[in-house]
Amino acid sequence: MSADTQPDSMDAEATNTGGSAASEADSGSEPLLALSDVHTYYGESHVLEGVSLDVREGEVVALVGRNGVGKTTTLRSILQLTQPREGSIRYRDMELIGRRTHEVAGAGIGWIPEERRMFAELTVAENVRIAAPADETERARTTAFETFPDLERFADRKAGTLSGGQQQMLAIARGLVGGNDLLLVDEPSEGLAPQIVASVAEAIADVASDTTVLLVEQNLPLALDLADRFYVLDNGRVVANGDTDDVSSDDEALRGYLSA
Amino acid sequence: MIDGLLAFSGAPVASAAPVALQIGDALGQFFQPTTLARVFVDGLAKAALYVMIAAGLTLIFGLMGVLNFAHGSLTMIGAYLGGAILVVLVGGGGPTSLALFFVTVVVVFGLLAAFGALLEVSLIRPLYDRPPVYQILLTFGLTLVLDELARIVVSFYGLQPISDWQAALGTKPALLTQSVGLGPVSVSGLALFEIAFGFVTVLAIYAFLTKTRYGLVVRAGSEDSEMVDALGIDVRRVFTVVFALGVGIAGVAGTLLAWDATWGASVPLASETLLPAFVVVIVGGLGTFRGTVVAGLIVGLVDSTMTWWFQNAISFTGLPEMTIFLILVITLIVRPQGLFGLAEVGGH
Repeated sequence: MSADTQPDSMDAEATNTGGSAASEADSGSEPLLALSDVHTYYGESHVLEGVSLDVREGEVVALVGRNGVGKTTTLRSILQLTQPREGSIRYRDMELIGRRTHEVAGAGIGWIPEERRMFAELTVAENVRIAAPADETERARTTAFETFPDLERFADRKAGTLSGGQQQMLAIARGLVGGNDLLLVDEPSEGLAPQIVASVAEAIADVASDTTVLLVEQNLPLALDLADRFYVLDNGRVVANGDTDDVSSDDEALRGYLSA
Repeated sequence: MIDGLLAFSGAPVASAAPVALQIGDALGQFFQPTTLARVFVDGLAKAALYVMIAAGLTLIFGLMGVLNFAHGSLTMIGAYLGGAILVVLVGGGGPTSLALFFVTVVVVFGLLAAFGALLEVSLIRPLYDRPPVYQILLTFGLTLVLDELARIVVSFYGLQPISDWQAALGTKPALLTQSVGLGPVSVSGLALFEIAFGFVTVLAIYAFLTKTRYGLVVRAGSEDSEMVDALGIDVRRVFTVVFALGVGIAGVAGTLLAWDATWGASVPLASETLLPAFVVVIVGGLGTFRGTVVAGLIVGLVDSTMTWWFQNAISFTGLPEMTIFLILVITLIVRPQGLFGLAEVGGH
């Protein structure tokens, strides 16, 4: 694991415990998504203080850190739901900063948000349909229900009546059918029972087999299990990153970043 | 206790018996099948108009969270515009045909929808990122401007702004000025036409919301427009379409009102329609179309019932209008979110 920015003593320790970052593993290939020195504010509150990270095609990259350090804001900044004031966010050859959210999504970036954000009054089938391109709704329905057979039983039920685990499956299905090349997945295990978390992890692993994923997750074992690489965010900055094969969820330095 | 109250109010205790007798007679008369049927049909006709007036308001609020205080003024403009087209089509006066009415409705819908789109893009859109009070102030200001403009234009053409435009009323086809016998009950042709027109309008809006992709996006956007945007759908464009649609429906409702002597094309029609529209939308639950339809039916039927009672038993014709505001007050106390309201709707 290597320190990324503004190393303090803990960063230095973290730097020595792990292996290389993406720069070693994937040197030479252009990243699918690259954030460079991104600064985002909520009013006067400076939330992201120069975040830099990249995600390469086919990877699962985990973004970990304590509550309130800017993980969700990083995803919102990529989607332009919260517009950064400085920096650069490049997706393929496109600069995302300054674009509208639907343009970012239309470029192939899907979002599976924190707390799922189902359209509760719409049926399960309608939630799937609205996420798919207009001319591919039938294919989307087939794909979603083949991937998540349990959802088909509830196709005509309002999404708001589903359990938390079923809603999470539907949220993943919604991200899946959008024809996205990159999925931003925010806290998929939040609020779910352990046995449900296992199924959700399986579903994400399934989706990640042919989609690039940037995963925000506080459940460290789950994040390390799913991801190829990770970044640690603290106080709006990336303080460490590395290869998940080189660390374990018992890593003291890593746990230090995640403890309150 | 009642005697005590009557004594306290200064009413002679002896008069209680005749009043009770009068109310007893009225009750007997009210529950006769012909009276009930007439009140029911009148209520449905009022409900059809209320739903048509309120439909655009609820669609706009449901999706965009914008309380459009100019909705009544746009209905009033629809009444004058529809009336003007009908008067021109019949060559200055006299009854027209239903076919010409439907042509007029399409033209008014198109013109008002285009005007609505222009308003949304130029005035409403720049305020989405500001607190809701800005939109309220803007649309309230807009209603003052539109009403004053209508007053100037109407006066310019020699019409009285505060009186119903008789020439527009006169374009009503002869068929609708007659009474139609439904079994033992005789009801006005206009009331039946209003019911049919309202029913078709509700069906058309319902089909749009449930059978089209745009409708799906509108329903989803009413719950979480940010999420719709993040699915790659340009939600701002949907806002423009829905605002245009809402204003177009207001214009169509206005055209129908120009034929109804209870309403008629006049500048005060703006406030006369805005208030019941808000009552229906709030009682139904802000932003839910289903709620608006159910609330329109309730308000229409209560209105016609109370109108009958105030005209036939209490002889105080000014009070029936108050009853629909009583429904509003009761709803706000008992169920503030309305019959089908969500805790939170709209947004941008």
